[in-house]
Formats: sequence, structure tokens, C-alpha cells
Amino acid sequence: MSALTVYRDENPGLREQAGLYRRITKLNIKAQAAYRGEFVLGLVFGLVWQGSMVLFAGVLLLRFPGLGGWKQGDVLLIASMRLVSHGLYVATFANISRLSMYVQEGRMDGFLLRPLPVYRQVLLTQFMVPAFGDLLAGLGIFTLALFRLDLAWTPLKVLYVVGGILGGMLVEAGVQTLLAIPALRFTGMFTWANWVDQMISTFGNYPLNVLPNPVRDALTFAFPVAFIAYLPAAIVTGHTASTGIPLWLTAGAPAIGLLFFLASKAAWYRSLRWYSSVGG
Amino acid sequence: MLSEFYEWGRVSSTLVMLATRAALTYWLWHALYASTTSSAGLNAQQATTYAMLGVFYIAFRTVNRWAARDTMVQHMLEGTIAYWFLRPVSPRRYYCVRACGDLAYGACWGALAYGVCLTTGVISPPVSTRAALATLATLALGLVILYYLKLLIDLACFWTVVNFQLVIMYEIVQNVLAGALVPLWFFPGWFASFDRLLPFQGTLNVPLSLYIGRTPVSQLGGDLAVQAVWIAVLAALSTLVWRRAAARVTVLGG
Repeated sequence: MSALTVYRDENPGLREQAGLYRRITKLNIKAQAAYRGEFVLGLVFGLVWQGSMVLFAGVLLLRFPGLGGWKQGDVLLIASMRLVSHGLYVATFANISRLSMYVQEGRMDGFLLRPLPVYRQVLLTQFMVPAFGDLLAGLGIFTLALFRLDLAWTPLKVLYVVGGILGGMLVEAGVQTLLAIPALRFTGMFTWANWVDQMISTFGNYPLNVLPNPVRDALTFAFPVAFIAYLPAAIVTGHTASTGIPLWLTAGAPAIGLLFFLASKAAWYRSLRWYSSVGG
Repeated sequence: MLSEFYEWGRVSSTLVMLATRAALTYWLWHALYASTTSSAGLNAQQATTYAMLGVFYIAFRTVNRWAARDTMVQHMLEGTIAYWFLRPVSPRRYYCVRACGDLAYGACWGALAYGVCLTTGVISPPVSTRAALATLATLALGLVILYYLKLLIDLACFWTVVNFQLVIMYEIVQNVLAGALVPLWFFPGWFASFDRLLPFQGTLNVPLSLYIGRTPVSQLGGDLAVQAVWIAVLAALSTLVWRRAAARVTVLGG
């Protein structure tokens, strides 16, 4: 009789799942730290990348009195909410944007064989070190925005900002999950994922009412950048009249983020049958 | 360069990326100038032209060698870097020819976008023929500086083995300090003074400032001299680094 022990996955509870997440993430961080210089640069990278976007917004806000009827502090709130939600996205979901690379490297075949949900395995492929820098930059700008804002904060408003940030994270994750569908067959999709990341980082920091209406609508309904930070910030700062959509839709941005992510994830799972291994 | 046509997704993505980014940049700058006629010595048309040309400049780095698994760091990790040193062409010359191909491909995109925007009146033409010639001269030297900077960053992987973050971070720093994200005229004085000590602004801010007439053509001599000094320094440094790199090629796996 062999001494081989077979471990069976018997619907683990939340505690076991969290433990598994923790163990895999710890191993991933250890793996990344093997190249010390690269690890340190990764920590700095998020700060530099998001810092450059903040610099972009900051320089413009210092030179110009406001944007599209929004005061400086209001625009900073959009930028800071987007930054924090992006930092959370990078820490938890960013691996999905690298799926085309994982397919190219043949890792996807391994994901399909292991006894863990495939999507979860993709997310746990590696730890994104730049997430630390992203979050640090985001929290720094968020603190600055709080000082520049002239708002009467209530518990409901605070709760809504937290919901808006989480909703923004889920919108970004949902967009990248949708892009990960064609990535199951086409390895060139990383360029698109990178483009989406750059577009959100560059143009997600501003009130979208400065754009022509068809473009604003496209960035609301086709490529939902508006739901990441612009619409939640519009509710908090009272700029709801210029969003071009009904108040209930503006206010529902966090919930829409959640629904959009769940729909994207379901669509991704349905598309797994299209997967084609690069090896044939 | 031809690797870009292996997957049409890369070509189409470049087209969409360039068009979208250019259009959003145009609207953003016009919105900023809605409440003022001049800022940092630039009017709306000058600022928009500068910002849009900055977007086209980023397009010079279009070739996606990452997806083609053809970046220096990928060759380093996979051990195929050894072939660079076995071919009858020296790795230094091979890298240079590759970079020229990349530049030619990126320049095609940049020229296409420039032509479309110029004919539709989205951006202004150079302020004078002399300014146009000065722009071309400084742009050419700026591209040489850009080549050497990228080369030095790539060569770092001979020491660090992995330099993914360094490559990406360099591109961001380069965009900020060259003026590709925001025209450098909008930055505070201390930032501009600090930036003048670095080679980056010679790659974009100098040619674009001449193009829009923010810098007079009479300053061309000084600008060209600074660029020439940077090229000499970076070329000497890269020669030294190539020599050292060749002496310590590490092929993973032994």
C-alpha cells in the first residue's frame, strides 16, 4: 500500500480560503523578493507611475482655476478616489490583465488542471509589488484632497466614498476581465490591457463633462471610466446636474461596479471553452 | 519591426490608442483654456499643439517587443542573449539596427498622425520655416539621446538579470521630464531648473518649444551644443557599459 495521501477539496469555508490566499500571496512575495533590486524598484514604480499622473493633474490644477465647473479640491477628489481604487485593483485583480502573457507561457494549461477555480488561480499567479506604491500615492492624494475640499462630511457620505472606491476597483477589474476573454485566444491582447490601464490612469482623473457629449457617453456606457471615480465624486461634491445621466444611475455607481464585475466574470467563465493552448 | 504585423491586433491597437489619446488630449486642453486665454506664456493653440505632438512622440516607442518576446531582459532570462554574441554582427550594431527599425516604424505612425492633425487644423504648423528646420535638427539629436538612454537602461539587465520595473519606470520618468505628459512650461521654476541639468528635455521640450515659437530660433546654437554634449557623454558611457556587459554575460542555467 502506498503512503501517498490524497488531499481532497471539500468545499473549503471562508476561513480556509482566506488561509490559502494568505499562504499563496506570501509565497508570491517571497518569489518576487528573490530579485532584490527589482523588488525595491517595484515598490517605487507604483509611486512613480501614479505620482506622475498626479503631477499631471496637479500642475494643470495649479495653472488653471478649475475644470468644467469643478473647483480644484473637487477634481482632486476624483483623482484621489481613482488612485485608491486603482491601488486596490492592482493588489487584488491586476493579474487578469496579464492573462495573454500567461497563455503565451503555457501557464493556463496548468490552471485548468488544478483543483481551484481558474479565475482565482489567475489572480494569484504573482503578487503585484507596485500595488504598495499605488496605494501609498492614492492615500497621500486622498488626504490632500480632504484638506482642499469644502464639504460637510456625514457618516453616509463617508460610507458612499468607501463604496465608490470599491465600486471603482470592480469596474476596472470588470473591464480587464472582459479584455481577458479575447486574451484566451490572442496573445497580442496585453497591448490592449496596457492601453486601458493608461487611459484610465490619464483620463480617469477629470470631470468628464468637459468632453463633447458623445465622448462623455462613450466613457460612461461603452468604456465605463465614468463609474470609477467621476460619478461617485459628482454625488459627494454635488455636481450631479452635469453628468448627463439620471441621478439614480449616478448614485448607483458603486452597485453598478459590482454588477458589472460579476457579469464580466461570468462572461469570462463562459468563454473558457474558447481557450486555445499556444502549443496546439 | 515586421514582428508588429504578425498579429494585426497590435497594429489596430496602436491605431486606436493613438487616435483616442490624441482626441482626449485635444478636448482636455481646450477645456482647460475655456476660462483663460494664456497660461505659462502659451495660448490654447500652442499648448494643444505641444501636448498633441507629445502624444505622437510617445508613439515613437510603439513597437511591442515584449509581446514578441524580444526585449533584452527576456533574452537574458531565456538565455537567448548568448546568440547576440555568437552572430557575425556585433551585439552593439545589432541593437542599433533594431532600434533604427523600431524608430522607422514608430515614426510612420507619428508622421501619419501629424499629417492628419495638421490638415484638419487640430494642430498648428511650425511658426516659421526656420523654426521648422530648427525643430527637425533638435528632434534628430533628441532621438539619438533617447536611443542612448534606452540602451543604458536595457544594458542594466546584464547586472540585475531582471529589469522589468526599471524599463517601465524609465519610460514614465522620460515622459514626465521630456514634457510628453505636460508641457514643461507649466511646471514650477525649480522643476524646470532641475530638469535643465538632465538630458531628457533635449529629447522633446527643446524641439517642441522651437516648433510652437515659445523658444526663439536664435537659441538654437545653445540648444544644439547641449544636446551634442549629452550625446558625447552618453555614447562614451554606453561604449564602456557594452564592454563590461560583454565580459559578464550570464546565461541562466549555466
